[in-house]
Amino acid sequence: MGALKPPAEDVMIHAEGLTVGYGERPVLKDVTFTVHAGEIVTVLGGSGCGKSTLLKALIGLIRPLRGSVRIRGACITGSDREAALESIRRHIGVLFQYGALLGSLSIADNVALPLEEFTDLPRSLIADLVHFKLDTVGLADYAHFMPAELSGGMRKRAALARAMALDPEILFCDEPSAGLDPITAAELDELLLECNRALGITMVVITHELASIEAIATRCIMLDKSAQGIIAVGRPEDLKNHSADPRVRAFFHRQPSLMRPEAASVAPEG
Amino acid sequence: MMGPQSTTEAGGTGRRVWAPSGPLTLKTVSDHWKTFQNLLSDPAVKALVVDLSGVEAVDSAGLVLLKGLRDRCAAASIAYELAHVPEPFRPFFVFGGLDRPTHEKPSTTRVGENALERLGRLTMETLQDIGELIEFVGSVTVAFLPCCLHPKRFRLKEVLYYVQRSGSEAMPIVFLVSFLMGLIMAFQAAVQLRQFGANIFVADLVSLALTRELGPLMTAIILAGRSAAAFAAEIGTMKVNEEVDALTVMGFNVTEFLIMPKVNALAFSGPLLTLFANASGIFGGMVVGALGLDLTPASFLTEVVAILSLTDVVSGLAKSLAFSILVAMVGCLRGLQTEKSADSVGRMTTSAVVSSIFLIILADAVFTVLFHVFDI
Repeated sequence: MGALKPPAEDVMIHAEGLTVGYGERPVLKDVTFTVHAGEIVTVLGGSGCGKSTLLKALIGLIRPLRGSVRIRGACITGSDREAALESIRRHIGVLFQYGALLGSLSIADNVALPLEEFTDLPRSLIADLVHFKLDTVGLADYAHFMPAELSGGMRKRAALARAMALDPEILFCDEPSAGLDPITAAELDELLLECNRALGITMVVITHELASIEAIATRCIMLDKSAQGIIAVGRPEDLKNHSADPRVRAFFHRQPSLMRPEAASVAPEG
Repeated sequence: MMGPQSTTEAGGTGRRVWAPSGPLTLKTVSDHWKTFQNLLSDPAVKALVVDLSGVEAVDSAGLVLLKGLRDRCAAASIAYELAHVPEPFRPFFVFGGLDRPTHEKPSTTRVGENALERLGRLTMETLQDIGELIEFVGSVTVAFLPCCLHPKRFRLKEVLYYVQRSGSEAMPIVFLVSFLMGLIMAFQAAVQLRQFGANIFVADLVSLALTRELGPLMTAIILAGRSAAAFAAEIGTMKVNEEVDALTVMGFNVTEFLIMPKVNALAFSGPLLTLFANASGIFGGMVVGALGLDLTPASFLTEVVAILSLTDVVSGLAKSLAFSILVAMVGCLRGLQTEKSADSVGRMTTSAVVSSIFLIILADAVFTVLFHVFDI
C-alpha cells in the first residue's frame, strides 16, 4: 500500500524546544523529541494536554510560538516554511480524527483526489490504484458510497486509504480509535501495524486508548496538561510497569487515585 | 421545613456550639445559613463546634453549607470543629471534600465592558475584518492568474456544478422577484403617467430602472441570500469536519481548490441571471401595459428597444459581475473564518448574508458615483 523502499535517513521527525499554542497562550512548552524511521510513536496523555495541538504543529497546520520541527531534515518552522512544507507534503499522510473525507465526493473519488492532483498517471491506472488501496483497507465494495453512507470505522479506513494514496513515508494519525467499538478499533490498529511492518512506514499516532497503545506502539511520548510538556518517553511496557511518575502510572493503570495525595480523614469528632 | 437548632455558649470562652437538628438539605439550608451568618458576625465567637449528632439527613446543599462555614471560619480566624459526625455521612463528606481545604474558586463573572471599550473592540474587529477581506481578495487574485495560464486548473466540472446550483436553480426565484418588481413599478408609474396620457413611458421607466439598477441589485441580493449563505455553510462545515485541514496537509491550494470554482461560477452566472431578471421585469411591466394601459406588447417592446442603449445593459452587467464576485468572496471568506463549532457555522452563514448585502449596497453607491462622473 505504501512505498516499499529504505528510508533515506534515520531521523524522520525531530522537534526541538517546541512551544505551541493558540494566540500567545502556550499549550505545550519546550518539547523536544525525535522519531526514527520505522517507529510507531504514540503521543499520549489526558484530554486537553495538547496532543492534537502538537500534531497540528508537526504537520504544519499551526506555526509554533518557538522552537523548530524538522521532517525528513526539512525545517518546517523556519523562514522558508512554505517551501519546506511543499517539499514534505508528498511524503506525509494524515489520518484525521473523524476521517475528514470530502463529503461531496465518493470514497473512490476521495482516494483518487491526491493521485489526480499530484501525479500525471492515466485515469485507468488511477482507478486501479484506488481499487488496490480500498481493497487493502477492506472497502473495495464500497468505492462508490458517499462518506455519509459509511459507518465511523469504515470512514476511518477510507481516510487511511486516502492518507496512503501517495505512498507516504510518515503517517500521522489523530486518535484513530476515537468513537470506534473495541473490535473495529483493534482492526484499525492491526491495519496500521500491517502498514508499518510490511512497508516500513513511520507513524506518529495521537491516542489515549490504552489498548491501542499496547498493541501498536514501539515507543510512547506522554504529555501532561499541568506540566505543559513531555513527562515520559519510553516503551509502553516500561512506562506501565517501571515508571516512577505517579501521573504515568495512573494513566497506564487507569487509576486516577494514584495521582492524588492520600485522602485525609474527615474532621475529628469533638 | 427547618428542624430545631440551638447555639450554646460554652463557659464564656467565646466557644460556641451549633447543633442543628433534622435534615440539613436544600429545603432547610437557607434558614441555617442565617443562623451561622449571625454566629460569624458576632465578634465574641472565637471557636465554633458544629455538632451534627441531631442531623438526620444531609444533601449537597448541606455539605456546601458546612464547607462554607468551615471556610468562613478560617477566613475570620475562628477555630472550627465538626463534632459527632454520624457514621453514614462520612463517605459523602469525603466524596464532597469536607476533609480537605477548598481550592480558590475561579471567578465566574465576566469582567464587564464599558461603552468605550466595546466601541474600541468593535472598531478593532471591523478593521481586522476589512484587513482579512483585502488579504483574501489578494489571495484569490493570486490564485486566479495561474489558472488563466493553465485553464485546466479552473476545475470546469466544479464550476459547472456551482453554476447549476447558484445560477440555474436560482432562476425561478429571480423570475418571480423581478417579474413582480416590474409589475409593481409599472402599476405605480401608470397611476401618474396616465394623467398625462404618457402611458408609453411606463416602458421607458421599467426598462431603464431594471437594466441599470434594480436588475443587478435584486439579483445580487438573491445571490447573497442563496449562494453566499450556501458557500459559507459549506466551507464552514468542511472546516468543522477538518476537511479543509486535510486538503491543506495533502498539499492542495485551498483558495484554488475550494474558492476559485465558486467565484468563477458566480462571476459567470450572476450577469446571466441579471439579464434574465431584466427580461422578467420588463415582461412584468409589459403585462401591466397590456392589461391596464391599453399598450400592445409590440408597442411596449418597441419603446423598450428604442430607449435602451447598449451602455445601459453593459453598465448593469458590469455591476452585476462585480456584485457576484463580491457575494462569492464574502461567502467563502466567512466559511473560512468559521471556528470549529456548529454555532460558528450558523453565525458565519448569517454574517455572510448580512456582509454581502451591505457590500453590495456600498459597491452600488460607488458605481453610481463613478457612472455619474464618467457620464455613463
